[in-house]
Amino acid sequence: MIIRRADEETEAGTLPSEELFAAMTKYNEELVKAGVMLDGAGLQPSAKGMKVRFSGGKRSVIDGPFAEAKELIAGYSVIEAGSLAEVVELVKKWPVEDGHGNATIEIRRVADIDEYDTATPEIVERERRMRAETGNA
Amino acid sequence: MRFMVMVKANPQSEENIAPSTEDLDAMSRYNDELVKAGVLLDANGLTSSADGALVSFTDGEPTVIDGPFTEAKELVAGYWVLEVKSREEVVEWVKRVPFEGDEEVEIEIRQVYEAGDFGPGYTDDIRDRQDAMAAKIAERHG
Repeated sequence: MIIRRADEETEAGTLPSEELFAAMTKYNEELVKAGVMLDGAGLQPSAKGMKVRFSGGKRSVIDGPFAEAKELIAGYSVIEAGSLAEVVELVKKWPVEDGHGNATIEIRRVADIDEYDTATPEIVERERRMRAETGNA
Repeated sequence: MRFMVMVKANPQSEENIAPSTEDLDAMSRYNDELVKAGVLLDANGLTSSADGALVSFTDGEPTVIDGPFTEAKELVAGYWVLEVKSREEVVEWVKRVPFEGDEEVEIEIRQVYEAGDFGPGYTDDIRDRQDAMAAKIAERHG
C-alpha cells in the first residue's frame, strides 16, 4: 500500500490544480498499464471525518479535524509488486508536482491471511470468499 | 458515499504478532456482514512498518528511509473501504467493529473524494481517463 501522507494543504481541502491532476493521472496510468495498480483514492480533510472511540465497552463519536497533518493520510493506492525495492523504485517516480515537490509517501506491505498461523482453514476460506465478492482476489 | 475506515497500529501489529484465532474469527465474521450488506469495497491489514519504507520528497528530490517508523504515532494497521448512503450509516458500521475488552481503540473515518468533489481542476479529460483506468483494473483484477 502506498500512502500519501497529509499536509497543511490537503487538510485545508485545497484541491489539486489541473496540472497536478494531469501529472497524477499520467503516473497512475503507467501503473495501470503495467498491471500493478489495484486500487486508489484521495481522502477528504479530517475536518469532514470522524473517529469512533472504543473504551471500556462503550463507543463514542468524535468529529474531525484531528491531530497534526503529518500524522494523517491524504490518499492511498494499492499495488501488486514482487518486493519492497520494486515499490520504492515506482514511488521515486511520484509526480514532483505533488505537495509542490515536498510530499511524504509511506510504503506498507499488505498482510496475507495465510501468513497468520493463528488463522484456521475456516477463517482463510471466509477471507477468500470476501475477496471474491468484493472483486479483490 | 465512500469512506475509508482506518485502525491504527499498536505494539502488537508493529511486531507482526499474529492476531489470536478468536480475534481473526470475529473480524472475518464482521467482514462477512459487511459483504452481505453490500457495503464492503475492500478490507486489508497492513504489516509492521518494519516491512515498509518512506520516500520523502524535498524540493522534488526523493530520499528513501527504511522502516520501522518510530516517529509516527498514528500508523495505519488496517482499513476498510465502504460504500454507504450516509455518514450515520458508516458510523453505525464502525461501532460494530469487534473490538472488545478494556483496550482503548480509535477508528478513523474519512470520506473519499469522488469525481464531483474535485472542482475545476478535474477536467472532463481527467474524468474520462480515471474511468478508463477503473475499467481496466476491474477487467484485470476484479
